[in-house]
Amino acid sequence: MSSSIPIRPAEHFENLERQAHAARLGMWVFLATEVLLFGAAFALFATYQVQFPHAFKLGVEHNTKVLGSLNTGVLLLSSTLVATGVHALRAGHRKVASWLVTATIGLGLVFLVIKGIEYGKHFDEGIYPGGAGHWFAEHHDRGLAEFWTLYFGMTALHAIHVTIGACVLGALLSSILRGRLGQENAHRLEVGAIYWHLVDVIWIFLWPLFYLA
Amino acid sequence: MSSFALPKTVVRTGLALFELWAASFGLSYVHLGSASLLVALAIAAVKAALVVMFFMELLHESLSMKLTLAAAGGLLAILIGLMIADAATREPPPLVPPGYPAPDVAKIPSR
Repeated sequence: MSSSIPIRPAEHFENLERQAHAARLGMWVFLATEVLLFGAAFALFATYQVQFPHAFKLGVEHNTKVLGSLNTGVLLLSSTLVATGVHALRAGHRKVASWLVTATIGLGLVFLVIKGIEYGKHFDEGIYPGGAGHWFAEHHDRGLAEFWTLYFGMTALHAIHVTIGACVLGALLSSILRGRLGQENAHRLEVGAIYWHLVDVIWIFLWPLFYLA
Repeated sequence: MSSFALPKTVVRTGLALFELWAASFGLSYVHLGSASLLVALAIAAVKAALVVMFFMELLHESLSMKLTLAAAGGLLAILIGLMIADAATREPPPLVPPGYPAPDVAKIPSR
């Protein structure tokens, strides 16, 4: 690992502490907008769930429960690792932090692969968004098309966020390895990790809605 | 350089998350009827709170950050709450718009 490059605050900040505060506030404001984006989708889910409780129950029973649950574990572990990574970087352990961030990105990729396997299984069964596919010719309950369309839409939107999160963590990892990110400006990793945690939080709610209840 | 000591808060939060994960998975095989969705969502809410408070460290953040998230959460609760209230209490649409004569039942084609 290369030696650390002296880190200064951006010129419009008096010191690094204020820059860190501004960065965190900016991320929280962004996350609030993300909550509203996913919130609209959750509201739509709630409406259809109330309208077609039987079809939504059938949809959940037919879903890939074990794979979805495994993916929940993958994301929970990844969140735990990146939170540990932030602590490591703050304490000046750049090498430990870089390994933990690498593992987090790896788990993000595992999540996407498992998600892809799930989609493949649904497509094989003839379940596509919009109620297309031969599965819907055999299952007529009103509301099934809505369930599976919401499932594909919301999990795909979430998978896009996992991909973005992995890219952000990849950029931060590169900064750590090049010595541009260390103990003094650990807030940059904090901000990236906060985004990753939000992606985890969204999945924490998607999991019971689409796989469990 | 001293060796890295695992942060206790993170480890405890991680363990609690996995316990709740296992509990939620196990309970999904227990027939709780209509309560199953509420129970699963309640566990999810506890997990989300743990992540937000201890991993995202909102617990130690300034008031400005807490207010930002509280505003988003409050608006979201209003949105979802009103939508569920509407969907759950909506009357089925009337066969005849108000002011029109009642239809001749014999002429309505059966499905």
